[in-house]
Amino acid sequence: MSSEPFRDSPRSREYGPSRRAFLGRMFNGFGGLALTGLLARDAKGAPSMVDPLAVKAPTFPRKAKNCIMLFMCGGVSQVDSFEYKPKLNEFHGKRIPYIPKIASGELQGRLTFAHQCVGSPFKFHQHGQAGRYVSELFPNLARHVNDLAFIHGIQVDNQNHGPATLHVTTGSPFPGSPSVGSWVQYGLGSANQNLPGYVVIQDPRGAPTNGAAVWSNGYLPAAYQGTFLRPTGTPIVDLTRPAGVTAAQQRQEFDALAWLNRRHLGPGGQDGELEARISAYELAFRMQTAAPELVDLSDETEETQALYGLDDPKTAGFGRQCLLARRLVERGVRHTLLVHGVQIGKDSWDDHGNVKDGMLKHSREVDLPVAGLLADLKRRGLLDETLVVWASEMGRTSFVNGNIGDKVGRDHNGHALCMWMAGGDVKGGATAGATDDFSLCAVDKPIHIRDVHATLLNLLGLDDQNLTYHYAGRIRRLTDIHGEVLKQIMT
Amino acid sequence: MSLVQRTLPLGRTATVAIVVCVLASSLLAHVLLADLPPTNHVAVWPFTPLANITPPQVRHADRISNGIDQFIQAALEEKDLTPAPAASARTLVRRLYFDLIGLPPSPAEVDAFVNDPDPKAYEKLVDRLLADSRYGERWARFWLDLARYADTAGYEGDPDLPHAWRYRDYVIDAFNQDKPYDQFVIEQIAGDETEEIMGAGDLPSSKPEPIVALTFLRLAPFTEPRGDASRHEMLSEMTSTVSSVFLGLTVGCAQCHNHKYDRIPTRDFYRMKAFFSTVQLERPLPGDGYQIGGPLPAAFYRKGEKEWATKLTEQRNAELGEVRSLVAALEKIEEVGKKSEPKISLTAEQRAQRDKAKARVRLLEQDLKRLQPVAMSLRHSYGPPFEPGVPETRVLIRGEWDKPDEIVEPGFPSLITGHQDPASIRLDPFKRWPTRSRRLALAQWIVSTNNPMTARVMINRLWDWHFGRGLVATPSDFGKLSGGASHPELIDWLARQFTDSKWSIKAMHRLILNSATYRQSSRHRDAKAELADPENVLLWRFRSRRLEAEAVRDAVLAVSGRLNPEQFGLPIFPPLPDGLAEAVKYDESKWATQEGPEGRKRSVYIYQQRTMTMPFMQTFDSVVCDASRDRRQASVTPLQALAMYNGHFANEEATHFAARVRKEAGESSVAQIQLAFKTALGREPAPDESERMQTLMDPSTAGGDPLAPVCRVLLNANEFVYVE
Repeated sequence: MSSEPFRDSPRSREYGPSRRAFLGRMFNGFGGLALTGLLARDAKGAPSMVDPLAVKAPTFPRKAKNCIMLFMCGGVSQVDSFEYKPKLNEFHGKRIPYIPKIASGELQGRLTFAHQCVGSPFKFHQHGQAGRYVSELFPNLARHVNDLAFIHGIQVDNQNHGPATLHVTTGSPFPGSPSVGSWVQYGLGSANQNLPGYVVIQDPRGAPTNGAAVWSNGYLPAAYQGTFLRPTGTPIVDLTRPAGVTAAQQRQEFDALAWLNRRHLGPGGQDGELEARISAYELAFRMQTAAPELVDLSDETEETQALYGLDDPKTAGFGRQCLLARRLVERGVRHTLLVHGVQIGKDSWDDHGNVKDGMLKHSREVDLPVAGLLADLKRRGLLDETLVVWASEMGRTSFVNGNIGDKVGRDHNGHALCMWMAGGDVKGGATAGATDDFSLCAVDKPIHIRDVHATLLNLLGLDDQNLTYHYAGRIRRLTDIHGEVLKQIMT
Repeated sequence: MSLVQRTLPLGRTATVAIVVCVLASSLLAHVLLADLPPTNHVAVWPFTPLANITPPQVRHADRISNGIDQFIQAALEEKDLTPAPAASARTLVRRLYFDLIGLPPSPAEVDAFVNDPDPKAYEKLVDRLLADSRYGERWARFWLDLARYADTAGYEGDPDLPHAWRYRDYVIDAFNQDKPYDQFVIEQIAGDETEEIMGAGDLPSSKPEPIVALTFLRLAPFTEPRGDASRHEMLSEMTSTVSSVFLGLTVGCAQCHNHKYDRIPTRDFYRMKAFFSTVQLERPLPGDGYQIGGPLPAAFYRKGEKEWATKLTEQRNAELGEVRSLVAALEKIEEVGKKSEPKISLTAEQRAQRDKAKARVRLLEQDLKRLQPVAMSLRHSYGPPFEPGVPETRVLIRGEWDKPDEIVEPGFPSLITGHQDPASIRLDPFKRWPTRSRRLALAQWIVSTNNPMTARVMINRLWDWHFGRGLVATPSDFGKLSGGASHPELIDWLARQFTDSKWSIKAMHRLILNSATYRQSSRHRDAKAELADPENVLLWRFRSRRLEAEAVRDAVLAVSGRLNPEQFGLPIFPPLPDGLAEAVKYDESKWATQEGPEGRKRSVYIYQQRTMTMPFMQTFDSVVCDASRDRRQASVTPLQALAMYNGHFANEEATHFAARVRKEAGESSVAQIQLAFKTALGREPAPDESERMQTLMDPSTAGGDPLAPVCRVLLNANEFVYVE
């Protein structure tokens, strides 16, 4: 074992109150305009100035430069979507014949009570070269299985929605840690100068479990937080000029403000932070044009809009989110998180009560848009450089508590989350992990969500072991002290 | 003097600890959990006892106001540097106001100070501001960050914690009263255990104030419990937070493995956790859900608080009655309509009215809950035969709750004590309450002279909050990764002053603020110093800094003249921009937007909703805390520019600011600009500034109030949001 376990000294990426820090702070949020000038002026042999969002070279050569994460809020039933388990239908209404040996007592405990297995109400068909089974709920996505690599039996440490969602989105079941997108930005920087490098578009119907904690920068500097983008109207909060103020008047006021600020700075004044603030107003001014342009879909052809399902009210919501994700990728936005579903109610994938109708509804809303996104990325040559990740906070049980009636639901299962990845160096058609005949948990060695995170970072060229940050007395990582890359789904 | 060179020997630290992290085999982990031996333990600073230090001699005694300056100047002289000259009176008055009460001085207050001929004018102002009750409203906020204060539980549904606000008021009041810090510590860790048991009867009842203080231990985000796993998580979180907040030790990582950099063995984590083993939470009230937990009785104790609560309760009850009748009336109409032929349904307007009224009912009911004389507190278990006795505390392998290892007794960190002996816990004379006094033993040790960390850590926090950088740069981590202290002797000297002053925080403010070091100019340029100490670690000038989010919002309201000065009380819900409230709320009982003056109280009262930080506050780096936060960042983003220039809040207040100035200054635009500058920036405009601002007042370009653009520009000026 090396006595130097961390490639970077823990303080090398820290933002203390230093010259570097205040130069760093000026970039916070959005990349660094006007920095070149400032950096050039700083010729006093001060330590190398690092723009926190400057593009950084990846550790490994990887094709994917950007990531789109599709998060399905509520816990997708794996046995009604991507895991074909014929035994379920065979045992429908009966007890599952065995209890797996798993660490957490909860799932085990439930299996000791009277419970009845629930068969999937949906048919599964084979698709693609590998003949992979996909449920009839995803006819459009099924056409892309040659590009998808599936991961089965992923474990999260707590199967309540709150902690499980945080575990998948931030690597820790407790609030306060940076989200995956924050780590990606921290590791790779942002290629876009006029837009945030990490954008979040939540379901227009409401917030996910834990709200903004899902895209928080946690203990990383604020530069790495996800920016909340609304798919319609004013995309970014406070983007619209005050009522009655024209662009010309705003220009005049900004000029007066810049004049006042420079005067305050004094002749020959050098203060990176104050100068950065002057520049921030200029960027804000430009963003007022750039951000509305981003969400204006009028330059997309009718065919493209239909590809994402914008012509159908059922698919238009998530379709718009997916189309925006492609536009963000085109503009060099590093990480995009799309959330489908809200934390509770009929628009959540949390189908305790009626998994049949629930899955029909949710899958209908996302199947076409996600397939459209993959197709569109592919035909534009963007899928190679974009990692697409399908996620949810956990899987669901193959049994129901109590009796089987007309409308059966499934409970939470933190041992059987199913995810897929596509794009970049993902080996299409590959599979990692497998669950038992009843999809209760992994057979063989379980795959932990941290292994998935390690793989995700690796596919973007980042080494989870070396992507570290010193905070509160510890060297922090997305994967904490775990994480094993799933080589089997990589080319 | 050894200065910044106390850097850490990274990479050369115990590889044993690293091995522990990586190994998956529980057998091997078991072997490796064996302690780092505390024997041969030679304490190094900051774990050494507090030395009795005399401030060093300096060559230029003319710049010395008090002992602080001797330490600072000696270090500067060692590098052949000199401190900056004193800042102007105009700069100092603004600096002091923002630093102590978090608000700008009014033009009259600036003039009064600048023109005060008394040589003690500065000291007088320090005393006056320390006595000002707005002081607690600013300084409590720092503590609330440390205490991970929030008004919701986080996680799924993010339910309301209806009584958390009483802790916020406790902290404001404690700062204002200059509650001795040792007492402040004890109340927050063991407020339920401080009453002496004198007889054999029932447990003595605690006073309400320390019961409220105990909310501190309960402020971590909390989700639906899962039995022993959740209890382990809860007690572990208490252990880590108490340790980092009061001791500056990050023991959290020792939960799973020996600390990699500091001598904190896993065993010590569980020895410390054992002090919390008898913590008992009340079960939640029916309907509240497990994320909330139950409250404990705690009468309103501040002067006038009970009367306030009674009056507000009456008001809310009266309104509740009215709104309920409205709902009932509308539902009646609906019912009658349903039965009539043909059916008549409610009009859209009636439906909207009904829905709004129903939402209001829930809000009023929630407010009435908030106004109950109870606190989000905890207590020790009563022990057998009523409740569990003292449970065994075991080391848990890799921190996993279901992998118990050896049993440990409560004990203090061996890093400080040099041993792992069990702590002595003083039970009541009748030994009736074996579950009592555990946390008290910990709290009393934390503030005892046997432990030098508490005073050092708190002094460093105060320094950090005054100067924008601690003498140890990571205030909640004094360990090796902190990089050491810039002036360790100064910390020790201040820590001794702190304990000698009976832990008076205000005495420490006075000492720091009256130093020449604090009064230096921030604009001083010194090429030599910039080269030798570019980060200004040695304090050769004052560090200018951006206001924290709360101070930015409060300052905007102060200059617009619309700040509601009412102190204490229920959380406030200022308007959110662009319909955001709808997008983020979970149900109607959240974010009850207050358009009126209620929503314009100071920012410390803003509802802290864990799933949403107010965008305006967030752009200025405030966060609703999920975990203890020791520092705020000061980022510069275009989102700040958008919030301050485009945002509804800033614009509305800019309009009021303009109206106020016009009313006070009369019709002359020169006089208006002059007063606007004095109000916002504490100074007169220079002639060229006045001229330039007048160009913005062309009535043909300004929509509405011609002065509004000037006011908007002033609120956006760097000078407005930075303190020099």
